[in-house]
Amino acid sequence: MKISTKGRLATATVLGAIGLIAVATWSAIEEVEQADSQRRQTTEIARALNGLRLVTFEFILHRQARAREQEREVSQRLDHLLADFSAGVSSDDPAAAELTHDLRARNATADRLFVELLASPVVEPSAGSADPATVRFESQLSSRLLILQQETLADAFELSDLAAQRIDAAQRRVAVVTLAGLALIALCACGAAWLVHWKMLRPIARLEQATREVAAGNWGYRLEIHGDDEIAQMARHFNAMTHALRDSFHQIERSNHELAALNKEIEAFSYSVSHDLRGPLRSMDGFALALLEDYSGKLDEDGEDALHRIRAASQRMGRLIDELLGLSRVTRTELSIRPVDLSHMAHEITDSLAKHHPEHPVSLRIDEGMTAQADPALMRIAMQNLLENAWKFTGKSASPAIHVGMRNTGERREFFISDNGVGFDMAYASRLFGAFQRLHHENEFAGTGIGLAIVQRVIRRHGGTIGVQAELGKGATFTFCMQEFEPEHPAAPVPAHADPISHSPAHGGPHAPAEGASCERV
Amino acid sequence: MNESDKVILLVEDSADDATLTLRAFKRSHLMNPIVVARDGIEALDFLFARGMHADRANAPLPTLVILDLKLPKLDGLGVLKAIRAEPMTQFLPVVILTSSKEEQDLISGYALGANSYVRKPVDFVEFLEAVKVLGIFWLMLNQTPTQRTSS
Repeated sequence: MKISTKGRLATATVLGAIGLIAVATWSAIEEVEQADSQRRQTTEIARALNGLRLVTFEFILHRQARAREQEREVSQRLDHLLADFSAGVSSDDPAAAELTHDLRARNATADRLFVELLASPVVEPSAGSADPATVRFESQLSSRLLILQQETLADAFELSDLAAQRIDAAQRRVAVVTLAGLALIALCACGAAWLVHWKMLRPIARLEQATREVAAGNWGYRLEIHGDDEIAQMARHFNAMTHALRDSFHQIERSNHELAALNKEIEAFSYSVSHDLRGPLRSMDGFALALLEDYSGKLDEDGEDALHRIRAASQRMGRLIDELLGLSRVTRTELSIRPVDLSHMAHEITDSLAKHHPEHPVSLRIDEGMTAQADPALMRIAMQNLLENAWKFTGKSASPAIHVGMRNTGERREFFISDNGVGFDMAYASRLFGAFQRLHHENEFAGTGIGLAIVQRVIRRHGGTIGVQAELGKGATFTFCMQEFEPEHPAAPVPAHADPISHSPAHGGPHAPAEGASCERV
Repeated sequence: MNESDKVILLVEDSADDATLTLRAFKRSHLMNPIVVARDGIEALDFLFARGMHADRANAPLPTLVILDLKLPKLDGLGVLKAIRAEPMTQFLPVVILTSSKEEQDLISGYALGANSYVRKPVDFVEFLEAVKVLGIFWLMLNQTPTQRTSS
């Protein structure tokens, strides 16, 4: 049975009990009123009887003619009262009915006796010459009449007692019905409390325990289902939900395993690229050099040039492989988030660049106090690439200048590296961050074209984005922002071996525009 | 024993790399005899005078082992493990010379007791420089405990 049905049943029972009490009380009040009116009537009757007795006494004593009138009047009133009373007595009260009947009969007899008494010759007590037989007769008559009246009065009192008893009985009944009704209501309340406790609170507690189990990762937890009420239905739905969750979880686990396997393959591939592809290049370079050294006299200029080209190409391919591996390493490395002083890092990198390129002095401006929660090794790779680029592309500027700075944009801090180098046409900006994409010829500016792809991956691994703003001949500004990692949870951020893009929901999809979707005002 | 008599064991499966390494030694004026083993098992046979090298029973151990990591039969790390497990060779200087610059290889190499880890550059001039420094250090400067002969 459903809980709502049980609730309705309890409510109906309580209402029924209340109704029963009301009906019983009402009927009792009716009865009390009726009995009370009967009692009042019997009082009237008793009063009338008393009046009759007084009249009779008066007549016997004084023999006045008007006593007859008085007696008739009182007797008629009594008869009326008795008639009324008799009409009011219900058939289920035989004692009262019989008494009433007796009363009426006796009253009629008394009336007849009184008439007889009236009819007897008037005896003057003072005369003293009365006939003794007449006097005796009269005396007998009077005595009978008085006895009759006495009995009638007793009956009237008995009637009054009967009415009082009825009142008592009705009151007792009301008390019994009220107590029984209250007991029924109390029973219903107990039943409802039991229902709430066993059929609602307990199952809810079990459900709550189950949600906690499932939340803790116990996917196999099943709720036992009792009955068919609403909570049982909820438990059934809960089990279905847990089942669905478990399925999705297992599917995710499977996908993760597949991803891990795929990642292992990539690692194996990287390893063999690193090992096996470099071997032949080493041979090409080594033996070309051997030819140049051992056969220098026997080769003409074209021959030597060809060998030099072979060497240059081998070395270039070696660099490409190294950088490709570097790119894949950026994706594979486990992030280790720590506070990083980017200002200090920029100083170190630019110091080293200045030392390596004394022929190319650059006016540097590095803002102080730039710190971030990031992976120091990866950040160094990114900063190195960005600063090397800035250094390289200001190579032909009249007064080369690089600015490394930070600005706040409400939610996030943006870091930027800006130069006044050759810049580029923004029409090609979307190609800038692709691997092996170059906007300049290699004989103009050296490089493999993979540096910015690495930078972008580093920033994405940190849940951020990078954008660029440039103008041909006027320089370029690279702006990046990163997820603000909590310093207390350095282990929380993006795991290695996972697609970094999926971990930065706030930022762009896999094809985030190079212009910077979130790093505005570049 | 003369400095230049000290034997070097080069464990290298690639004929090209072996030739180039030998050339680099020659170009660096390191005249030590170099024995080339083509796989891990052969390297261990040479060191422990087994199989085709059984005749080396009383020959002295090489002064230096130059070990590639990627080898047929038994890889470089396996060879290194075997060398360090044997009391006779446990202090033998072993230099890993490999194409790999995977962090994991470096860690495993040092964990198993490699004395140094050198990466083969593609540019032969750089390679030459590396071999030269390596040879000078391990053959001329470095001191090892008293030489013991093979059992």
